[in-house]
This record gives sequence, C-alpha cells and structure tokens, in this order.
Amino acid sequence: MINRRHFLTTVAIGTASAAALSACGSGAGSSGQTGSADKPVTINYTWWGNDDRAERTRKAIALFESKNPDIKVNGNFTDFAGYWQKRATEAAGGGLPDVMQWDLSYLRDYGQRNQLLDLSTVKIDTSAFDKSLLPSGQIKGKTYGIPTSTNAFAVYYDPAKLAPLGIAEPDGTWTYKEFNDFLTQVGTKSNGALYGGTDYTGVWWMFNIWLRQNKIEAFTSDGKLGFSKDDLKKWWNLTANLRGTGAIIPEDRVTQLAPKSPFGSNATATEVTWDNFMAGYLGDSGAKELKLVPVPSDDPDNLGLFLKPSMLMVASAKTKFKDAAARFIDFMVNDPEVGQIFKTSRGVPASKTQRDGTTFEGTDKLVVDYEKSIEKYLKDAPEPPIVGFGTLESSFKRIASDLNYGKLTVDGATDAWFKEAEDLIKQNG
Amino acid sequence: MTSSPTLSRRSASSAPVQLRKSKRNGADARAGYTFLLPWLLGFIALTVGPMISSLYLSFTNYNLFEPPKWIGLDNYTTLFQDERFLQSVGVTVGYVVFGTPLKLAAALAVAMLLNSKRRGQGFYRSAFYAPSLIGASVSIAIVWKAMFGDSGPVGQGLSFFGINLGGWVGNPAMTMPMFILLTVWQFGAPMVIFLAGLKQIPGELYEAASMDGAGPVRKFFNITWPMLSPVIFFNLLMETIHAFQIFASAYIISNGEGGPAGSTLFYTLYLYLRGFSDFRMGYASAMAWLLVVVVGIITLIFFRTSKSWVHYSGDSR
Repeated sequence: MINRRHFLTTVAIGTASAAALSACGSGAGSSGQTGSADKPVTINYTWWGNDDRAERTRKAIALFESKNPDIKVNGNFTDFAGYWQKRATEAAGGGLPDVMQWDLSYLRDYGQRNQLLDLSTVKIDTSAFDKSLLPSGQIKGKTYGIPTSTNAFAVYYDPAKLAPLGIAEPDGTWTYKEFNDFLTQVGTKSNGALYGGTDYTGVWWMFNIWLRQNKIEAFTSDGKLGFSKDDLKKWWNLTANLRGTGAIIPEDRVTQLAPKSPFGSNATATEVTWDNFMAGYLGDSGAKELKLVPVPSDDPDNLGLFLKPSMLMVASAKTKFKDAAARFIDFMVNDPEVGQIFKTSRGVPASKTQRDGTTFEGTDKLVVDYEKSIEKYLKDAPEPPIVGFGTLESSFKRIASDLNYGKLTVDGATDAWFKEAEDLIKQNG
Repeated sequence: MTSSPTLSRRSASSAPVQLRKSKRNGADARAGYTFLLPWLLGFIALTVGPMISSLYLSFTNYNLFEPPKWIGLDNYTTLFQDERFLQSVGVTVGYVVFGTPLKLAAALAVAMLLNSKRRGQGFYRSAFYAPSLIGASVSIAIVWKAMFGDSGPVGQGLSFFGINLGGWVGNPAMTMPMFILLTVWQFGAPMVIFLAGLKQIPGELYEAASMDGAGPVRKFFNITWPMLSPVIFFNLLMETIHAFQIFASAYIISNGEGGPAGSTLFYTLYLYLRGFSDFRMGYASAMAWLLVVVVGIITLIFFRTSKSWVHYSGDSR
C-alpha cells in the first residue's frame, strides 16, 4: 500500500539521482579530440607574469581563436611563486591544464615523472629553431618543452635616475668591485632617496654566472653539487660591506613592495636579471627608457653568460586535445604576429620565423641588440637543471633574504642552504 | 523518538501496541540514518578517509608523482631537527598564547558593555559581529596587508603621533602584532556567545551583591566570572583550537613565503609549503598528524584542569 511517506521518499530519490546523473554528462564538443567551427573544443592555457604580459597573452589568444575557429582557449595566470604550487596540486589531481608556460627549473621534475606530453609525437614545426637551443627542452630523447624565446642575464639601469645624480652611465665592462662602488655611489649621491640596487648575491642565476666566470659548474652531470661551501661563502661575502648601507635596498622594503620588484617600483637605480624583464619593468615603472649592460666580471674575457630558454611551452601528458594543444603551441612559438604582440617581453623569439616577422623598435631593439652584443661571450646553455631545482632556487632566495634581514650570518646562511641542497639530492636518490 | 521506550514500558501488557511502538522505533532509526546518510558518506569519504590515508603517508616519502615509499618514522625524527619546523612551532605558539587571551578579553569586555540596554545596541552587536564573519577571508587578508604596508593608513596614522615604525608587513618584529590584531579584531563571534551567557546570569545575584556593598570589581570576580565560566571555557577551547589552524591570512599576507625572515611562518603554512612547494607530502602529513595529536593533548589538558575553575550551575559546588 502506498502511503504518503513512501511516495515522497521515492520522488525525492528519483529527483536526486536524475540530477546527479545529468551532472555526469559532459559538455558539448568533447566527444572526440577535434571540434568544428560550431562545436569548438576548449583547451586550458595558463601562464605566469604581470599585467603587461597578461594583456599581450590575451591578444595572442584572441588572434589564435580568430585563425582557428574550431578551438577556444581558456586562459588564466598567476604570479611566478604561486604558479608552481598550483601546478603541483593540479598534477596530483590529474588535472594539469592542456597547455602551459613553463620554466626550465621545473622541466625535469614534471617531465621525468610523466606529467608532460612528449611533443615530438605531435605536429609542431621546429625547423626555424637554432639546433643548439632545442636540447634544452629535451630529457632522455623526449621533447618535453619547446622554448618560446631566449634570454640572457644583464644589468638594467634607468638613465633618467643617474643623470640628476651626476653619475656616468655604465658601459658594462666592470669588475665586481667597480659594480659595488657604482651601487654605493647611487646611495650616497641621492642621500638615501634612491638605492643602488637589490642584493645581487641573492639571485641564483647571477651566482651561477659567477661560478662559470670562475670555471665552476653548478651541478655535475650526475646531479650532484659542483661547488663547495667556500665558493658560496665567497659569493655571499661579495656584498658584505654593502648590506645595511644605501647601496642596497633594505629587505623590509623589498617585502613591502612584493610582488612588484624594487626596480619596477622606482626604488632602485639598477637591477640584475634576465633581459626579457624589460617590457614588464617599463610597464611597472613608467620610465621612458631603460638600458642594459653586461654583468660584472673579474675576468674581462669570460662573462659567464649564456642564452637560456626564457620559457618553454609544454602540454599536459593527460590532455584530451593533443592536436589542438599542438596547434596552439606551434602558433605561440612560430607565428610572426605573435612576435609582434610580445616583442621581447618573453625574451628574444627563438624561432627565426617569429624573429624575422617582428619589427623591434625602441627598448625591444635594445634587448635584441644586447643579445647580439654579447654573442661573442656566449657559451653553451646548461642542460635542464636537476629535479627539485625549483625548490633550491626559492630557498636560495629565501636564505639570502634572511641574510639581508640580519637573521643569519654568511656562514650560517651557507650551512642552511647546503643542508637543504644535500637533503634534496639525497631524496632524488 | 525518545518517549516511546517509557510508553512501551507502561503498556507492556498490551502486546499489539508494544509491537507497533518498537516497529516505530526501528522505522524512526532507519529514517534517521537515511537523513544522516549524505553527511555520513561525505564525512567518511572526505574527512575520515583522507585522514587515514594521510596517516599512512606520514610514514612514507611521497612526492605526488611517484608512488609513496615507506620510510617508517624518518619523517617524525627529521621534524625535530628541522630549524624551520621549530621556528614554525615558535611562531604558532606565540600567536596562540598572545592572540587568544587578548581576543577573549576583548570579547568579554565588549559583551559586558553591550549587555546593558542602550540605544542602537542591535546595531552595535551586528557591527562588532561582522568582522568575525569575513575575517578569515582572502579579501580581508589583502586589505589588512595593504593597511599595514609602507604607505598604508596604519603607518601614516602612527607617524602622525610621532611613532615611526614604517610598514609593519616587511618588518619581522611587527608582523606578529599585525596578525594578533587581525585575530583580536574578529572578537565578534565569541562576544555574541558571551552575551548569551551574560544574559543567563540572574539579576538577583547582582542585586544581592549590591545590597551587601559589593563594587563592580567584586561583582565581576565573584559573580560574573564563576557564572560565566562554562561559556569562558567553551570559548577558550574553541578559539585555541581555531588559532592553531590559521592559514589563509598567513598565506596571503606573507605572499605564501612565511614572511620577512620567517616571522609569519605559521605551522600550517610551513606544512603547505613542504607539501606543495617542496613536493614532500609524507613530511607534510607527519606535520599534520603531529598537530592533531598536540591539539588533542592541549584539549585534554583543558578539560582536566577545567574541573578546578569551571562552575556548572546545578553542580554540588
């Protein structure tokens, strides 16, 4: 006999299951790998960067969609630090975005652990790339990333800030002592209103370059450390006399300004970093022009510089839309119009097709010219760094920051970093 | 549901009635469980299951990509030699020890003020309660960080009075006070509970005390505090446990790094960084279980010592 309670229960269960089952069904267009103009597939693309890069990327995506009406690209971005934590959680859940902007530091971590698609299995045109550049995205014969562009380390300065202080513009042929003196000059002559720069010994890649200038490799081919504690102590002692003076911006100001850089916030006169930061700095600081010169070196013939793939395009190993992902990657690295959109904000385009199709003017031309000017000093790019390198790089930054807060001595800082590095290398087994 | 047993005992002689009642019992219980089922399934699948899995993972090395490797108690022993771990413990304990009592003191003080009838008391109660609703959110953390930044209103305001501290966010000595202020600002939730407790204290006690010549201080310590002690105990326990779990504001304000010179490296933040930045999930799981055990022990201590100062009305004391 049917009573009201039974009837209501059945209806409730029926509705609930109907709702649940309908949620299981997927959206339109995902029944296969390819779509069509009226049933486009949607791929997810994620990148890191500031607003300037986001603006350019959105333009590139719009261009791609107009040329490829059967593909929709869903884009979003974060800042660099948060980017990797997000990717880690996504990878754990099996949901990495279809296409991603990637950094060399994390290529091995994800590539070796089968999280990234082997791009040699899909159609991407790499004929316009410098042959010596492609190996930087390859591990054990599989291509996990295609470099979008190259960059090289440089010292930036703002000529408009140096002129009123009566300081001559640097020509880039300086020893470390001369560089330190330059930074001190800025602090003194501006009466503390402007700092010379940030503590460049806190930048991992500058350390790497200094090691190369001293003919030391950071890592051996079997993934161990190639330098000693004494090397690191020597390095961190280079700016020992500058910390706490007007030459280097105090660490608490750096923290306040984060995630904007001190140089981009017009608090310092120089910055030591990759040459593709130019567009971002111009956007953040509002400066009329910024210039680039080579990094200091105590050996004028060996600047330790190299062309590093500034970033790579990778695809998730679990993507359902390999073809669409490949077409998007091919577009982003080869299409000359994309080159026009980004100019040098990702670095100097790696694909000759893209480079030739872009007119570099003004500050972009400065970046391209810079890389041309250091060509004779360039040595081979390092191979993808060891697994867990991303962590080492961020602990280097953190420990150097603690050093600048006065929380650690140089010896203490060296011991701390080495402990982490040795622990990590032991983990890699 | 609970009255049936007594009924069935009384009508033991009439068998059909008793049968119907126990059938009702069974049907009631089944209905109860059916309604509970969604929550129960969620609880098992989303809370208990992961907890057990995390307990297992705490004895392994797990980097999210490769299968976990058993290493026994290694994670736990490494913990106590890890400087950053010890720092995170120090930071969190400092936050709990200073933040919670201040928050409760503020809550009690304001509750007592709002206990007397005054104009707009409804408005005041809502106004004070509002921060605790949104306080733990991301947006408030962003606003707080901006307020205490270099050029933020707090720094400017203080320098107006001649106190030149600069920005608090980048200053390792001032970041903890900033967090403590954030939690004290959210005193609204415990305040509302205190208000409810205060309203239950019989007015006659205060009248009797006045007649005996007791001043406000005497009244507070001899009437308010003992009568309110169960509520104080509840709030103290809940707020302490809650304080140990701080994460969102710590992450946002320190940019996910644990702040200037590790001064905002809260326990849960360090746990998160170890797990998701360093890919050391086993280590992070060990930290999580250690936290559960420690908070459990603290709760136990609270309960044990409560007998000496918490006074439940209706007790023989």
